[in-house]
Amino acid sequence: MRPSPTTAASAPAAGDGILVARGVRKTYRTGAESVDALKDIDLAVAAGQFVAVMGPSGSGKTTLLNCLSGLDDIDAGEIVVDDEPIHRMSDARRTRHRASSMGFIFQAFNLIPVFTAIENVELPLLLAGADAKAARTAAHETLARVGLGHRLHHRPTELSGGEQQRVTIARALAGRPRIVWADEPTGNLDSETATQVMDLLRELHAEGLTLLLVTHDDDIGSSAQRRIVVRDGVIVADEALR
Amino acid sequence: MTERVLAVLAGVVATAGLVAVGALPVPVLVLSLPFLVVLARRPVLRRLAVRNAVRRPRETLLVLLGSLLGTAIITSSFIVGDTLNASLRRSAFTQLGPVDEIAPVLGAEAGAEVEAALRSLPPDLVDGVVTVLTAPGSVATPGANPRAEPSATVLEVDFERGRAFGGDPDATGLEGPMPGTDEIAVGRDIADTLDVDEGDTVDLYLYGAKLSLRVVRVLPRLGLAGLHLEFGSESPNVFVQPGTLTRLAAASTIPASPPTAVVAVSNAGGVLEGAERTDEVAAAMREALDGRPVSVNEVKRDRLELAQESGEQFTQLFTSIGFFSVIAGILLLVNIFVMLAEERKTELGMLRAVGLRRTGLVGSFSVEGWMYALASAALGTVVGLGLGRIIAGVAASIFGQGDFALELHYAATLSSVQTAFTIGFVISLVTILGTSFRIARLNVIRAIRDLPEQEGGRRQRVLGAIAAAVVVVVGGVFFAGSVANDDPYGVLIGPALAAAGVVRLTHNLLPRRAVVTAAAGAALVWALVAFEVLPDAFEDGDITIFVVQGLILTFTAVAMVSTNQDGIGAVVRRLGGGASSMALRLGLAYPLARRFRTAMILGMYSLVVFTLTFITVFSHLFSGQVDGFTRRISGGFDLRVASNTSNPVPADAVRALPGVTDVAEQAVVTAEWLATTTDGGFQPWPVASFDETFLRAGPVALLERHPRYPDDEAAYRAVLADPSLVIVSEFFLQEGGGPPDRPVEVGDRIEMRDPLSGRTRTLTVAAQAEAGFGNLLAYVSRPVLEETFGASVTTNLLFVGVAEGTDPVALSDSVNGRFLANGADAESFREIVNENLSQQQQFFRLMQGYLALGLVVGIAGLGVVMVRAVRERRRQVGVLRSLGFQAAAVRRAFMVESSFVALEGIVIGVVLANVVAWRLVGSDTFGESLTFTVPWGQLLLLVLATFAASLLATVAPAQQASKIRPAVALRITD
Ligand SMILES: Nc1ncnc2c1ncn2[C@@H]1O[C@H](COP(=O)(O)OP(=O)(O)OP(=O)(O)O)[C@@H](O)[C@H]1O
Ligand SMILES: [Mg+2]
Repeated sequence: MRPSPTTAASAPAAGDGILVARGVRKTYRTGAESVDALKDIDLAVAAGQFVAVMGPSGSGKTTLLNCLSGLDDIDAGEIVVDDEPIHRMSDARRTRHRASSMGFIFQAFNLIPVFTAIENVELPLLLAGADAKAARTAAHETLARVGLGHRLHHRPTELSGGEQQRVTIARALAGRPRIVWADEPTGNLDSETATQVMDLLRELHAEGLTLLLVTHDDDIGSSAQRRIVVRDGVIVADEALR
Repeated sequence: MTERVLAVLAGVVATAGLVAVGALPVPVLVLSLPFLVVLARRPVLRRLAVRNAVRRPRETLLVLLGSLLGTAIITSSFIVGDTLNASLRRSAFTQLGPVDEIAPVLGAEAGAEVEAALRSLPPDLVDGVVTVLTAPGSVATPGANPRAEPSATVLEVDFERGRAFGGDPDATGLEGPMPGTDEIAVGRDIADTLDVDEGDTVDLYLYGAKLSLRVVRVLPRLGLAGLHLEFGSESPNVFVQPGTLTRLAAASTIPASPPTAVVAVSNAGGVLEGAERTDEVAAAMREALDGRPVSVNEVKRDRLELAQESGEQFTQLFTSIGFFSVIAGILLLVNIFVMLAEERKTELGMLRAVGLRRTGLVGSFSVEGWMYALASAALGTVVGLGLGRIIAGVAASIFGQGDFALELHYAATLSSVQTAFTIGFVISLVTILGTSFRIARLNVIRAIRDLPEQEGGRRQRVLGAIAAAVVVVVGGVFFAGSVANDDPYGVLIGPALAAAGVVRLTHNLLPRRAVVTAAAGAALVWALVAFEVLPDAFEDGDITIFVVQGLILTFTAVAMVSTNQDGIGAVVRRLGGGASSMALRLGLAYPLARRFRTAMILGMYSLVVFTLTFITVFSHLFSGQVDGFTRRISGGFDLRVASNTSNPVPADAVRALPGVTDVAEQAVVTAEWLATTTDGGFQPWPVASFDETFLRAGPVALLERHPRYPDDEAAYRAVLADPSLVIVSEFFLQEGGGPPDRPVEVGDRIEMRDPLSGRTRTLTVAAQAEAGFGNLLAYVSRPVLEETFGASVTTNLLFVGVAEGTDPVALSDSVNGRFLANGADAESFREIVNENLSQQQQFFRLMQGYLALGLVVGIAGLGVVMVRAVRERRRQVGVLRSLGFQAAAVRRAFMVESSFVALEGIVIGVVLANVVAWRLVGSDTFGESLTFTVPWGQLLLLVLATFAASLLATVAPAQQASKIRPAVALRITD
């Protein structure tokens, strides 16, 4: 076994946090070539923690996020979210689990173009089985919360980039998930809008949300509670900041 | 560099080669020139176009499939026409050969006299004159169970002189020795019917005599040996020793018409080329006949013209019905191209950004399109050749039945193939070019962000309004002018144009939805009722007017549905469980948001379902009418007994049969007619006499009668009493297929002529009788017939009524057996109607099969569109999955989407077709004999099959969509 580069965080153990990963490996195979995108990742995240994931391009950050959240399959290891080993679940159960306890924010805003802002936001609520009226109310409240109470019925193409990203955030939050995954949420935004979006996320974190956020921005990285640095599919640094 | 030179060289050589062998039509080459230039001179565009075309071979194949069907349908329509044309032309060889004109007279003596007169014709004009003596007879094999041909033609000709007739002895078909005493030469068709060969003995019945003759030769169906001047591809000919007919006729004890001497003339030149001199020769013949009451029939030219016309009518029929599928194919092509453009939007925007001009964009797109158009036209022609062969095969088996069986022989002419290729190519090219220009004009940024196109500036708005106003005015004027001139096209198209103009004119002023709904609704209702409001305009409309009507109806319906999609979607959502059913919600969201695409698919589906339903409803209407039709054409009788004029069935003998209650006697002769509307002089058509008995149980139904007569019977009685009146059938003087267009109206004065004596008589049309099912006759009183046609008038058709409890079919069998010698041809009216209806049903099936091709276009199109939709939305599917959307729900959403559009199209098509059929039956276009009923069973089957096929076409793409892995999809950058 390779010596763990982990410094600040303790070795992961069951029941330690909302997210526990042990010995996670991920290999992409394309034809003859294969890329070991994640090599023996061990990680534990406590509930309510704000974790920034950093590292050079191509180091495996997105892969890490996708695997931890269960969007992607892994080749070895185990990931437990909310005491549930997500890769042992059927696809349908994993999907339900996602709907009920996770939220996602992507760099490319990824809204559904044929739905209005409020329809996009109520989507996860309805998927989690909420009643239509309650979903609508919650979606409205969440959009107001992100400052888009006046843009409810706009289609994504009729919104600015910052507004679209705020809709995405509203969508990730509307279902009151326990954990939110954000992959470079400010990557496509100007610095002022980016600051607004980050302020919003920090506010939400302050209310108890667990947040895993990939970023290239040092300022954002250093504003987190904990910073993980990935290089070549390996966690090379893991430090508590506050 | 070398690659480019090689490519251009190969292109030039290939094109030149194709043109040289005549395979590539010149218009295609001319239209292709600009694209060839672009290919040669603009390397960037060439690379762009070629790479895009080969990048996704599967999708390129789909584009080709979508666009080749149009060409295939057009090609097959032409081939069906070619086949009919060639088959009829073939009869110019098999049933006429060297014969170009004939001058028929009664009796051998008169024949000899006419022949002598015609011998003086100049030899540079005419290369033969010969007399063939003919009389109808019956032939049968001897013994207890004879095989028989009741309507054979007995001929006499001097074989030596016959072979010398025309330039080519082989073209006369007269082989072997001339039959001597107790000998007979039979034609191939008789030999087949009787299953006899050389050396066998057959019995020949005519003029009350029975001759036992030994077969000395089986003659081919060719030239004089195959001489046949009536309908049907078979020549039921037998040749006897010259002198036989005259001797038997003289000795005959029964009333019968003497043999006809057909004096045949062969124009200088071969079988086909000779016909070109018909005018000259006919004029010379009339001059040589010098006022004798003999008519000259231009049989060869008439036959060739009939072939040409019938072929063209068939092509028109099939092109017209196929047109809906062609339009469906065009809609599909537009849709695919718009989707391709959307997929490449960012790429195109980037190219624009790096300096590709707008024309360059059009160039790259249209070069790619040109390649598709060329390839699909070529493939489509090949597919069309195969398709045409299938249709010709099916049609051959349909036409091969019944008394006037027509033998179809598959034929395709190069010129048809070229024309079809060109039309298919031009349609694809124009569609693709139009779409390319439209795409290139899109504002790139708007396109990328998927925003609706903005209105132009003030100037453009004003221009648009003026154009719209012009359209409204043109539509109005077109309509008014057409009403005045009874032009059906303008009556239908004018209001639709005006409605489109009104929509455009008011789209900034009034709520669009209301205006479109109202305008399209008004145009739709008008297209439905125009037939009844302005019947005069549609009096002699042909099938194309139905095509125009169908197109207007479906397009307006699609416009109405498209503008009200939101409302429809809301209703469907409510029915489907409200907002909580996510798959339903998502499945509806895409078609509702992508209006243009949805409208295109909807149009495609509506069109093909409309035509299929229409044919289905119509075939059902006719199939259920055996009783009604039988009643109307039988005049209350049960059997029809036809016989030879040389040896007719004695009416009294039939009257004496057990079970027979009434016998109405008729004499049928072939007259020649001249009406003001018929061009080309006198035309042959049979005429019959009738008597009081005929009116016993309410005569053959009339379609239309002079208002002077209170009922049908009164009209018939008037004809009996007044020698200047005639009742004609609905099909009177019409040849070929297509809906009846009635060249003669009630009240018209027409001339009737005896082709043998040349005597004429002017008659007034008192009424038009129900036609169809072999009931084609014109009716006059017996004295009129006898005065005009003299000795050839003899009772040869009987309408027989039977007592209750007597089976008409059994009776007709017994009549046929008992009166074999008289060439009896008895058939129950119900059988006649049944046989005709079944033949008609088979033809409807053929049409349905043909139309189902359009459905294939539609369903394949839906599949293609869904495949592309999945590709476009992979990333969105990834997002949905990350939000907790189940894989099964993704699949369901795609299924909902395609079934929603398919169902809408099916409903539009089915409803419209039923309404149109209902209105059409209600108007008197088809007489009063039809009553409208909905064929629920067949329609249910059609709807279910279409719907199931649509779902099936979507299963694969939907399944693919559900398999999309979120982590992979989210990485797609488009
Ligand atoms: N589908 C795939 N097939 C093959 N290799 C892949 C695939 N997806 C990612 N990779 C490779 O895996 C490695 C990690 O990729 P990943 O997207 O996780 O990096 P990243 O750290 O998110 O980079 P960036 O900061 O640029 O987004 C890279 O080397 C990448 O090339
Ligand atoms: Mg990344």
